[in-house]
Amino acid sequence: MSWAGPDDIFLSTSLATYLDKKLLVLLRDGRKLLGLLRSFDQFANVVLEGACERVIVGDLYCDIPLGLYVIRGENVVLIGELDLEKEELPSHMTPVSAAEIKRAQKAEREATDLKGSMRKRMEFLDFD
Amino acid sequence: MLFFSYFKDLVGREVTVELKNDLAIRGTLHSVDQYLNIKLENTRVVDQDKNPHMLSVRNCFIRGSVVRYVQLPPDGVDIELLHDATRREARGG
Repeated sequence: MSWAGPDDIFLSTSLATYLDKKLLVLLRDGRKLLGLLRSFDQFANVVLEGACERVIVGDLYCDIPLGLYVIRGENVVLIGELDLEKEELPSHMTPVSAAEIKRAQKAEREATDLKGSMRKRMEFLDFD
Repeated sequence: MLFFSYFKDLVGREVTVELKNDLAIRGTLHSVDQYLNIKLENTRVVDQDKNPHMLSVRNCFIRGSVVRYVQLPPDGVDIELLHDATRREARGG
């Protein structure tokens, strides 16, 4: 991001327009962090205040509070501005505790692992 | 510089950005920079049901390093202009 002058901030790709706003940050490892943008630089390194990780498994979700976070830019996929008037999540989703969402995550991971291993076993049968 | 200039000319057009994590986002190209970071407005995720977290995101900044494709409107490409620019770039670079 080039350092834009005061008139350029509305046209440039600078993150300055997102300062002090509540943002959704997607990371390369699939995590979704929410928080207020307090600082950034040309590498898209970011400081999020009041950060929390939103974990979504099926229809369950949980916000795990994290506090003040510094995120290295190379891990950032996307930074989205949250529209506070719009509902952040569909109404059919239910909030659950951190322990329950971790259980749900584990169950989902085991289901995908099982699917993967079953597929491997079937592949040798060569059904084409 | 060539693609940076090319994207600058496409500001205001509808594009779909496909990311390396397979997320596809449609929106209006607001701005681009030398790293080909992209800012989109009026964004909607292509497969909204699989991405409930993006529901209330209307503007976003996408880091250039995570973009796989930028899908453009079919009339967004002036092939002759692009060819000339590429030849100039190849000669000069």
